[in-house]
Amino acid sequence: VRFETEVRRVLRKSSVVAALVVGMLVSGCYSGGGPKHSVDGGGGPAMLTGAPAVSYTIPRVGGGSDSVAAHRGSIVVLNFWATWCPPCKEEMPALESLYRSERSRGLVVLGIDQGESSATAAKFATAHGVTFPILVDADQQYASSYVSIGLPTTVIVGRDGHVVRGIDGAQTLAQFKALVGPLLAAK
Amino acid sequence: VNARASAFAFALLAIGLTLAQDVFPARDWYHGWQYTTILAIAIGVMVVHALRSWRGKAGPNGKRVALALAGASVVAVAGLLSGLIGPDTVTVVGTPGTVTPVAELGAAAFFAPADPQTIPRGDATVTLRRRNAGPVEIGPRPVPVGLSVAFTQSRPAAYVVVRNDRGDRLTITQPNNPSFLSPVILFRQAQQIHDRTFPLDTFAVPAAQRVVRILYFAQDDLAAFRHDPAAPAPTGPGAILSATDDAGAQQGITMAQSGTEAAIGGLHVTVTLGSYPVLQVASAPAPYAVVAGLAIFLGALAWWLTGSRAVAPAAQSVPA
Repeated sequence: VRFETEVRRVLRKSSVVAALVVGMLVSGCYSGGGPKHSVDGGGGPAMLTGAPAVSYTIPRVGGGSDSVAAHRGSIVVLNFWATWCPPCKEEMPALESLYRSERSRGLVVLGIDQGESSATAAKFATAHGVTFPILVDADQQYASSYVSIGLPTTVIVGRDGHVVRGIDGAQTLAQFKALVGPLLAAK
Repeated sequence: VNARASAFAFALLAIGLTLAQDVFPARDWYHGWQYTTILAIAIGVMVVHALRSWRGKAGPNGKRVALALAGASVVAVAGLLSGLIGPDTVTVVGTPGTVTPVAELGAAAFFAPADPQTIPRGDATVTLRRRNAGPVEIGPRPVPVGLSVAFTQSRPAAYVVVRNDRGDRLTITQPNNPSFLSPVILFRQAQQIHDRTFPLDTFAVPAAQRVVRILYFAQDDLAAFRHDPAAPAPTGPGAILSATDDAGAQQGITMAQSGTEAAIGGLHVTVTLGSYPVLQVASAPAPYAVVAGLAIFLGALAWWLTGSRAVAPAAQSVPA
């Protein structure tokens, strides 16, 4: 009788362990082991809202150098462009008008040429009557860091040095004014 | 004695397999049925023997043995759960100079800017930033972050500079990649040649209406392809560049050595080849469970061994 009781006890324990093993095996078959997935950076400039504005010091057409950080305390409109980009050319007059009308209120406009030589950017600026500062980003650092997904790209940086808006594509003067007007009005 | 030895052999095996997830992370095997089976059997054996020992049915020092096996079981359960329900390994490819959210870690990964000097050295870094925590620089050695481990893995990369015949630099775009305006090519595609796979990517030069495919060859690959023994041995990686115009018409193909200008399709292209890190995030056993389980296991072992030594002389004195 004692032997039978012992055998039953062992069998009961074994069945619990077996059930545990089978359960884990079944779970193992249905979980994990899937393909490794990859997350690729990107998402466009809109995702940067609220992030600290990245700054690189790069050459300015006409001499010297400039950066976003140098204008901390001002509302800064960064515009990434290139001479081969037709929408960039179409947008330039609106950007120039914005600069002329709002610079007295403390607005800073920086046109940042992407990946071209200084001479190429200077020639373009002269031909299109651009008077706001043009920076030459031969290594395309700004557009990379601000996750540009096309040209032109506009990024508005607030007085606190954080990104207020990132916009993909050309804007009109009215759109620019609607974006920066409230920021300039707020002290 | 044999049952006890078996239980401790399973305990050591289970601890080793669990710690392997921290030391050699991101292996598919941890999520497979074989790994699960071994740990499940080990847990079963340890639990049964621990219960028998606790009840005094498996030799002397039963409670101490039971405690040690319980500690090992905690470690093994942590390893088993990580393998069973831990997330799949995630590879985060970030453009140099950008911040990429990593939802799995509740963190943002900052991929350091790269230039023609950092790419050949391959020493660019990835820094994790989390709320209410300091930045953590991630390297090739796994770093525990919550219930995961993070580490970097070097992948082939190229820094590309393109000039026209006048020597003016031209903008590079990557229309097929998230890093649209980066001059750093991260080789996100692959090309199969016979039985081997080579890193491949594409960039465009819109000002010249050119699209350039770039195929990466490591130094060893180039040496293997060298048919002329008299030709100089390659001293570094190289790339095959093939250019088309916007309509897809072939405009040339050439071999480019790293750091040396190559003329193709009316362009002067300099590719500086090297590597840039990608971030890997893999599941890992819960660190608190592993530390607590190991502490119980080692503490109970020490208690058992010191207790045995203290008891031994008394046991010898009984026959006398």
